[in-house]
Amino acid sequence: MSERARGWLGIAGVLAVGLLLSFVLTERYHHRILTLVFLWAAMGLAWNIISGYAGQISFGHQAFFGIGAYTTVLLAAKLKLTPWLGMFAGAGVAVLAALLIGTPTFRLAGIYFGLATLAYPLIFRIVMDYLGFQEVAIPMVRDHPILFMQFEEPRSFDLLALALLGATLVLSRLIEGSRLGYSLRAIKENEQAALAMGVDAFRCKMAAYALSAAPAALAGAIYAHAILFVVTPEAVFGVLVIVQTLVVCLVGGVGTLWGPVIGAAIMIPVSEILDGTVGDRLPGIQGVVYGAALMAIMMFAPEGLFWRLRRRRAPAAVATATGTAPADREREAAPPAAVFGAVLLDVRGVSKAFLGLQALSEVSFDVRQGEILGIIGPNGAGKTTLFNVLNGFLLPEGGQVRWEGDPITGLPPHAVCRRGIGRTFQVVRFFPHLTARENVIVGAFAHGGTPAAAAARARDALARVGLEARADSLPPGLTTLELRLMELARCLATRPRLVLLDEPLAGLSTDGIEIMSAMIRRVRADGITVVIIEHTVQALVKIADRLVVLDHGRRLAEGAPSDVTRDPAVIEAYLGKRWLARHAAAHAADLRP
Amino acid sequence: MLRISGLSVAYGGLRALEDVSLDVSEGEFVTIVGPNGAGKSTLLKTISGSVRPAAGRLELRGRDMTPLPSHQRAALGIAHVPEGRRVFPSLTVLENLELGSYRAAARAARRATLGSVLELFPVLAERRAQLAGSLSGGEQQMLALGRGLMSLPDLLLLDEPSQGLAPRIVEQIFEAIGRIRAARRLTILLVEQRVVEALELCDRGYVLETGRVALAGSHDALLADPRVQRAYLGV
Repeated sequence: MSERARGWLGIAGVLAVGLLLSFVLTERYHHRILTLVFLWAAMGLAWNIISGYAGQISFGHQAFFGIGAYTTVLLAAKLKLTPWLGMFAGAGVAVLAALLIGTPTFRLAGIYFGLATLAYPLIFRIVMDYLGFQEVAIPMVRDHPILFMQFEEPRSFDLLALALLGATLVLSRLIEGSRLGYSLRAIKENEQAALAMGVDAFRCKMAAYALSAAPAALAGAIYAHAILFVVTPEAVFGVLVIVQTLVVCLVGGVGTLWGPVIGAAIMIPVSEILDGTVGDRLPGIQGVVYGAALMAIMMFAPEGLFWRLRRRRAPAAVATATGTAPADREREAAPPAAVFGAVLLDVRGVSKAFLGLQALSEVSFDVRQGEILGIIGPNGAGKTTLFNVLNGFLLPEGGQVRWEGDPITGLPPHAVCRRGIGRTFQVVRFFPHLTARENVIVGAFAHGGTPAAAAARARDALARVGLEARADSLPPGLTTLELRLMELARCLATRPRLVLLDEPLAGLSTDGIEIMSAMIRRVRADGITVVIIEHTVQALVKIADRLVVLDHGRRLAEGAPSDVTRDPAVIEAYLGKRWLARHAAAHAADLRP
Repeated sequence: MLRISGLSVAYGGLRALEDVSLDVSEGEFVTIVGPNGAGKSTLLKTISGSVRPAAGRLELRGRDMTPLPSHQRAALGIAHVPEGRRVFPSLTVLENLELGSYRAAARAARRATLGSVLELFPVLAERRAQLAGSLSGGEQQMLALGRGLMSLPDLLLLDEPSQGLAPRIVEQIFEAIGRIRAARRLTILLVEQRVVEALELCDRGYVLETGRVALAGSHDALLADPRVQRAYLGV
């Protein structure tokens, strides 16, 4: 069965078990526990969208939970609006709040984002206190109890919470399989690489944040009616709400649909039953037991139960170093065209300094359609800085980069990628929890399209580099050569017209260098222009049509490989003035026609 | 004194060294040159123990030290002066030097060693109370060298002492290394990108190229050998 079908079947299974329990249980107290399990699972799933998939850890998600609860209850109390509509109004307000909060807060990265989110629920609490909403009771409406969610039947809240859980599961599942889902996971695992693959990280995070605010608000609204009856800032904006959410997700597993469900199914009953049993005799003991259970999880399954169980079931596939010799090494000998096409990329006077260190000063060169251009230079020459300027990671202080005549300086990396400039990294930046195929799909989504179309493009790209057989392996199980080929495939899947390869040959064996070199020639034979950075000059000399030499941020030389490597200035940059002085005679002989 | 045989190192599948064998005799000055990325720093780190080899054997005075952790290798008398100096910027020059004599054998003789190190580097004596972070690059390099000497090592590993320094300062550093060599019978293994300066100082040299030993020989032979250039530029 395909992974896709299994996902939907799993959701159906969760709902079926939920329904069954709801109809089997008879005691009101058990129904309360069941409702809580569904609600916290839904809340956990909501958090998981932004923090699990996108890796943007939110410590303030109770802001949306509380907004949902307050909006619904206030609308009912003040305007007599039914909570059936009110909760969707709450969700709407929460989405709006998410967009307002996200706009400034996503300027922060990593832990700083998480810390900033701590502030928002505190602000809402203070505002609620200030407005005099310290305690808002849900109004009793005896003539229309159902219309105001005042059920006699304890089962009703189970079913309502289960419906929310079902909807959140479906939403999460849809995100997982979509372009957004791939983009979010790519952002989480390596934001820089995601940007270079054409992912607009800011917009993706905003979308995920808004999508995760809505179910959180609905959970808050249902929680208010099913459990609270009197809404207080502490109860819905308080720190316990986020703690419960985090516990459910961390125990079950983050970044998967099933984690929060598993976590809620275990931790909520444990906590409630402890509360109701030993808690009576030894007040406070439930907290100790609960804490111990959490610590046990942290020690024995720090990645969460779901990932732990999955890893046990499918032991990490050990890399069997399959010879990735691409079938058509013969094709490599395509002779370089003597005359190259028009200027594709025009770099003029580019300068970039870091804290007084001039990394690039007035570097100019052209890249012509269809060539393989090598950029060499000793350590610290500014090669990687140059690539970072070309693909938009860095803004130069001076100079301009033109792509087919249009200035592209200042464009963000994802926009540069969508114009047709792909890149790879010095240290392969893969997404470790995505298979090779999924890594490439992230690149394939650069130009949008349906998941099926992206999958097809990814398949083509993997086939082009001869990596089909390893498509389902996770990157940590691949060899260095396979990783570099995968990264190349990911780059090709963005359908570039120019690729910037940052040390594609570093760390490869002699055979690996040959395979990779053949692959680079093939890429060019397919009509893609190539720019390579290398400091292992030997291999580059064999594949590049032209070399540009950088030293201390300046362009030192430019020309055919055989001329450049004999250029006294280049020899001096690599081996020093005194070497040049000692061997001057030999060079003079060399330079003689 | 130091014998390395069949050493291979990989960083997560990335081959840094492949089947490297070399030896250094007691009191000898050996230099390893090669382009960036050849594996020079990795080699020193493997000797001092901060990087574990995938294969191969390291012997110090006939004793297998491959399984020893780095602090035990330091106790055997190996001092590693790392690339980029790594002085403790918020400690004074004197405190930096005193931290160098951490190993038991050096602790007893700290006073005497300090005297000789300050004599070797008068500029450090002048600035003894100054914070190391406020020194110039060249002075920091001298401090790093001095700190290495404070452990009274038998084997001194120097990783690119010229890195990031102006040519005039580089001259001073190499001159200082020459003085260290003259002052005590110390075994030195120097790694450098600057070919001529490094080879002129040494007794013997190796050329490392993409993780393998490409050439080996006396300093005269290597200085005259055009193949050294091949390692850098491929022609």
